[in-house]
Amino acid sequence: MAGYTIRRVLWVIPVLWAVATITFFAMHAVPGGPFTSDKALPPAVNEALNRRYHLDQPLWKQYGLYLWDAGHGDLGLSFQGDRDVSTLLRDGFFVTAQLGVMGLVAAVVVGLTLGTLSALNQNGPLDYIGVVFATIGAAVPNFIMGAFLVVIFSVNLHWLDSLGWGGPTQFKDVLDPAAYEWRKLIIPVVAVSVLPAAFIARVTRASVLEVLHQDYIRTARAKGVTEMRVVLRHTMKNALIPVLTIIGPVAAALVTGSFIIETMFNIPGVGRAFVTAVERRDYAMIMGSVLFYTVIVTFANLLVDIAYAVVDPRIRYR
Amino acid sequence: MKIRKKLFLLLAGSMTAMLVIAAACGGGTSSSDKTATAGAGGGGGNTPAAGSTSTGGSQADAAPADQQKITIQSPEPEFYDPHRSNFEQDIAVERMLFRGLYNLTDDGNGGVKVVPGMADGDPTVNGNVYTVKLKAGLKWSDGSALTADDFVFGFQRECSADVASPYQYVLGAGLGELKGCDDLFNNKDASQTQALTDALGVKATDPTTLEFTLNKPIATFKTIWSLWATFPSPKAVITKDGDKWTDPANIVTNGPYTLKEVVAKDHATLVPNPNWSGQKPAIQQITIRFIDDLSAAFKAFQNGELQATQILATDSTVAKGDSSLKDELLIVPSSRITTIEVQMKNPVLGGTGDNDQKAYNLRLALSRAIDRQALSEAVYDGVNTPATYWLVKGLKGYQGNDPFQSKIGFDVDAAKKALADAGYPNGQGLPTFTLIYRDTPERRNEGDFLQKAWKAIGVNVDTQFVDSKARSAAFNNEQFQLFQGGWQLDYPDIENPLVGLFNTGGGNNKYNCSDPDVDAAYKDAANATSEDARIAAYQKVETLIVTRLCGIIPIYQDSLPFLISSKLGGVVSNGVINAGTPGNYAVENWYVKK
Amino acid sequence: MATSGAQSAAAQPAVVEPEVVLGRQRGLWWDAWRRLIKNRLAMFGLIAICVIAFVAFLGPHLGVLGRYGPNDQNYDPAVKQLGPTANHWLGTDQLGRDMWARTLEGLRISLQIGLGTQVLVLALGLLVGAGAALGGKLTDNLLMRVTDVMYAFPDLIFIILMRSILTGRDIPVLTNQKILIIVAIGMIQWTTIARLVRGQMLSLGERDFVLAAQALGAPRWRIVVQHMLPNTLGPVIVAITFGIPVAIFAEAALSFIGFGVPPPAASLGTLVSIGYTTIQRNVWNVIPPAAAVALLMLCFTFLGDGLRDALDPRTR
Repeated sequence: MAGYTIRRVLWVIPVLWAVATITFFAMHAVPGGPFTSDKALPPAVNEALNRRYHLDQPLWKQYGLYLWDAGHGDLGLSFQGDRDVSTLLRDGFFVTAQLGVMGLVAAVVVGLTLGTLSALNQNGPLDYIGVVFATIGAAVPNFIMGAFLVVIFSVNLHWLDSLGWGGPTQFKDVLDPAAYEWRKLIIPVVAVSVLPAAFIARVTRASVLEVLHQDYIRTARAKGVTEMRVVLRHTMKNALIPVLTIIGPVAAALVTGSFIIETMFNIPGVGRAFVTAVERRDYAMIMGSVLFYTVIVTFANLLVDIAYAVVDPRIRYR
Repeated sequence: MKIRKKLFLLLAGSMTAMLVIAAACGGGTSSSDKTATAGAGGGGGNTPAAGSTSTGGSQADAAPADQQKITIQSPEPEFYDPHRSNFEQDIAVERMLFRGLYNLTDDGNGGVKVVPGMADGDPTVNGNVYTVKLKAGLKWSDGSALTADDFVFGFQRECSADVASPYQYVLGAGLGELKGCDDLFNNKDASQTQALTDALGVKATDPTTLEFTLNKPIATFKTIWSLWATFPSPKAVITKDGDKWTDPANIVTNGPYTLKEVVAKDHATLVPNPNWSGQKPAIQQITIRFIDDLSAAFKAFQNGELQATQILATDSTVAKGDSSLKDELLIVPSSRITTIEVQMKNPVLGGTGDNDQKAYNLRLALSRAIDRQALSEAVYDGVNTPATYWLVKGLKGYQGNDPFQSKIGFDVDAAKKALADAGYPNGQGLPTFTLIYRDTPERRNEGDFLQKAWKAIGVNVDTQFVDSKARSAAFNNEQFQLFQGGWQLDYPDIENPLVGLFNTGGGNNKYNCSDPDVDAAYKDAANATSEDARIAAYQKVETLIVTRLCGIIPIYQDSLPFLISSKLGGVVSNGVINAGTPGNYAVENWYVKK
Repeated sequence: MATSGAQSAAAQPAVVEPEVVLGRQRGLWWDAWRRLIKNRLAMFGLIAICVIAFVAFLGPHLGVLGRYGPNDQNYDPAVKQLGPTANHWLGTDQLGRDMWARTLEGLRISLQIGLGTQVLVLALGLLVGAGAALGGKLTDNLLMRVTDVMYAFPDLIFIILMRSILTGRDIPVLTNQKILIIVAIGMIQWTTIARLVRGQMLSLGERDFVLAAQALGAPRWRIVVQHMLPNTLGPVIVAITFGIPVAIFAEAALSFIGFGVPPPAASLGTLVSIGYTTIQRNVWNVIPPAAAVALLMLCFTFLGDGLRDALDPRTR
């Protein structure tokens, strides 16, 4: 197990290199550069700007330079105000992670509750509500959900705010209740969490139903164990395992997939930073955010594989 | 999955329906209001309603200081350093933070006048030498003295290749004519930099006197010396902090506000500069939220999250139909003309000799096929002004539609005739052209409109929508046949939309307009001895390029719809110069009403 | 496929042990089909998809359904930005275009994108997966390392980059806007299929019936085509069916932030994004395409669930 994990972790390095290489040459192949603007800059200005950012060097040299710097932990400067890309990523990820964590918590709470209630109330009204939620949640894309939430709750009812991030933007403020504005938080968090909540509800329902039909549950019931105890002690403990294994991919999807919602609600996370970076050909920022996302995806995949191996030892010996 | 599926489907269906109905009802209130007044809305007011407030106007109805806080919308600036900025949103904020020797303000007639800012009155001119006195007792926001040296340093940075200012050229040959600026900027030999910096035509003869040496006298000195490219730079701070000098912790400013906080991708906070020499601003905190999506900003405005924002043309119709929003709507004419630009190097669309007349007729057909009035109403709900002219309304020298409407304006029959004259009756024998657009929802509608209009006379045009950088790259590399472009003024002078744009070999002449008569008119303007002669010569340039459709087919002058909260007072138009929120050039006049 | 999230995780069934042996294949496919038609939700999905596709592709040629073209403009102020009327069932947009016709066009384009992407995904996935499983150790290693890299690449980000590179260029074939986005999406989504095919084929290679065929001297290609491919097909079909809504969703989501099918082609996502900017002007600019996206996603998910249950009874 340890050897497997180490091999997988080391494998991240060549993957990052490959992703960096693809991204580097891909982004330089996109038409237009960082200083391309509506009004043509005089050649002298263009030259001066390119020199300032080493864009006058041949591409392979820039590539080498980037790899060297990145290898030393320097992700370069954003063309947007010469800000340090590592700082921007750190600040952005702080927001993206909050959105992800809040979305995940909401999704797990809602998903588990609905899924369990559905299963326990199989074919009853609660079950219909749960299954309908799971189906609609899976079918309505999050940006459409977000759009309607804004129109209903913000523009018409004025209950909630529609733009910006309501959580802290600096790590030191995490514990400061004043840094949280719930009016701003609700719509984006609901929008990102509906799909995973639906998914978790579905998996939970199936899993609980399966456990309920197992012999040992029947035995427990036959032995006169109270229903509460059957559900909590015997059913949930076993039914939660498949649910736990999907939390990893769900969390990764929340983080890497949130940039639609971030862009839509003007949330200063990594996702929005990536989108503006592509639009503005902000090379260092594009590279930085792609590498960052790759690390997240790779480690999430790794965690899932390890979790599977832990939960189901058969996998290891296959 | 053993639940009874029929019932389940019914439930799923009804829940979806409920969601849709809830949304429909929600949107319904405003959309029904809209239909009630759509006819009455008309073209929309073209003059800013609040234009009457004079500088330093009464603030008798101002709210107490603790309520003097506002939040406004803007795209995110790249830089807060005036010598590195390339974009309108940067400049808009910099106008709040910094001021130059002169300042642009609304002249009350939709135009702009130049007034002294940091300068104590007009310059003394002696041949090529312009001498400007500074006001006494000027300070930076940290309390240190603002001296002539800081202005000199600002010009040195503007002309420095290391700073690489995108707007250096306004001080260069043909415009600002500052002596030695181009030499310093183009210099690649590090050992020469100091000598060239010393040779730059700007000196501080004493702490409050600046002496500028130009290559030749210019008519636009005060106008150009009011631009961000000429703002002072705090020498002490920049020497200490380098490129980080605009970080909120380091920055010092000389304008009405100073920068308190910047959260990248989210917002910036401005607070009054205690050492600002002009009128004390009433508003104690301006939060600038970085928002690109104007329809999202419109929703946020209605929810009270913003007190001032630009909105989309289609949303202005919604605002007109809303009882409270309609009084907060402010439609400001923009200094931008939108045109379809035509690549004159293309053998079919341009050409020389015999081909010339043929190609001209084709361009004429393209121009006369566009119903600019219908376009403005269909796509932009009448917000934009149909245009067959190039010099914008509000600019001194504006000629309007009258001289050109009958020559290049909408007339389907004339368009068909021109097409036949060009040798392509009903479009026979014409290739399919490609029209490049920037990809936005409104532009898509505009592209579809034009495509249909040209199709009606038999010309086939494909639209190609790309993002802003790719579009600009295609333009700058001259890789286009038809291109939706235009020109927004950098400064309110007739030369700005003309110099370098239509003269043979001009730096922005990417459509390759090359016409000896046009070049001759440029020469007349450059050699003009009086202001009237200069303007007349440039008007001749306009007449020539528009009637000959030399690289451009004007379609409309843009207007920008804004929503300004009725609580926000003192907002005057910027006149024909618009950057960011209306009135931000005199932000010190703003106040929150009781 | 991390970014497409929950659904894709569902779309990756663990390596399925083939239940199929020589001579019984037909019967098992028949069983699967019978299981599928008994599943009402799946049949609802299948029939609904057929109806939608029929209306979307043939509607424009069918009298009353195709009265208006998607780009028939009408500048009469009385006709623009309408809600549903007798003439315009789903209202009209800013240029007075019929939203029903626009939605049908969007459906057509979204379906083409969803299906087209999966064709590309299937081709690439089969090629790489089979190549890895059947080629030598070196080939296997090489192909799987490439797969790993693509798998690690955040997919929406990859699509955005590819799309940005490909738009506005004169590359043959890719000048077609739909093919361009199909290529951009397909080039990242094939990894799931490739891994699936490789895993299936490797485990099949050790199965008795394959070993028996080998011992009998059947040529290698024949074993692959006759025995291995059909047995790989079940899980692949399920993955492809789930891949369609994922592709439609990806395109719609990217349209929403300006990276979808380049205009003038207007997919459902594009229509939603255009409509959202004017949602307060006329909510009917958004409702039809939004509902259509949801319906498509719903139907394909039902069908995918049904297929999975039918093709792999043990997961029930």
